[in-house]
Amino acid sequence: MSEGGPSDPLARLGQRLDRARADENRGRSSGSAEPSPSGLGAGFRIGIELVASLVVGLALGWVFDHFLGTRPWGLIAFFFIGAAAGMMNAFRAAQRMGRGPRGG
Amino acid sequence: MAAEGSPLEQFQIERLVPLHIGSVDVSYTNSALLMTIAVVLIGLLLIAGTSRGALVPGRLQSMAEMAYEFVSGMVDENIGHHGGREFFPLVFSIFMFVFFGNTLGLIPYSFTFTSHIIVTFALALFVFLLVTLVALWKHGIKFFTMFFPPGAPIFMAPILIPIEIVSYLSRPVSLSIRLFANMMAGHTMMAVFAGFTITLGIFGFFPIAINVALYALEVIVTALQAYVFTILTCLYLRDAVHLH
Repeated sequence: MSEGGPSDPLARLGQRLDRARADENRGRSSGSAEPSPSGLGAGFRIGIELVASLVVGLALGWVFDHFLGTRPWGLIAFFFIGAAAGMMNAFRAAQRMGRGPRGG
Repeated sequence: MAAEGSPLEQFQIERLVPLHIGSVDVSYTNSALLMTIAVVLIGLLLIAGTSRGALVPGRLQSMAEMAYEFVSGMVDENIGHHGGREFFPLVFSIFMFVFFGNTLGLIPYSFTFTSHIIVTFALALFVFLLVTLVALWKHGIKFFTMFFPPGAPIFMAPILIPIEIVSYLSRPVSLSIRLFANMMAGHTMMAVFAGFTITLGIFGFFPIAINVALYALEVIVTALQAYVFTILTCLYLRDAVHLH
């Protein structure tokens, strides 16, 4: 504790805290948005992403049909739109995961 | 619904105080009781933790400060210091509520309110509506450019725009399913293994060993899922504040 710093003990404590925090943060990848999940977690998330869009697409199609009386065309069209959106979301989720600490 | 002794019995809603407003059932249930406990505990933790304001924090104060700094860092990193700070109270509340809901559910004989999709969906829908309103308020009509990826050829618009809209609308669904499915799957798995313990007799030791491991896993899952729910809220808010 004989380093040349401010004589005020509070300021010294502050300096030490800052240094400890900097050390702690060095180990982490900064700026990455999401934690890199385990294999099971990753699979789970992509699966949910796929299904959720499909469900929303089907629900929208059903509602369209119900009010416009175009059964079954709305359901069919929105099934494909939902499937496409699900693929896109899964792809985006996978892209976000790739930006984890493993590089890329 | 679920039979006696079934692994799904733990998710049964029980009316503790039956209440009816008109024909609407607003009974005070075990789910609501756990929510109340969660809110009271969060309040107590933060009030007791911040009341002394010691320079070198004690246990309670340390917990309160860690929670605060954790969420504060998350908000700053993901929404940005400018435009993100006003959402901090909301994000912090969501994190604490989900985290306490998940964690209290791990106590034997208690109830996990985050294992009901209606609870997580209500939370996710609230976040979704808020994000949409914030985006509309901040960017007005420009908000709708979000549904057309920049740089895509214009003749693709009739296909891309519906896809983007469906993908945007699926956000609350995937957000709520993720939390609910994780909590329910974990708790069901533990109940199934606990059921084996009794039927296997002397070999019941093995399911117990697995359950100990599963319980440790569940502790991680509770924290991780609260974190994921919160960070996705932050990411959606960032989309709303900065558009793309």
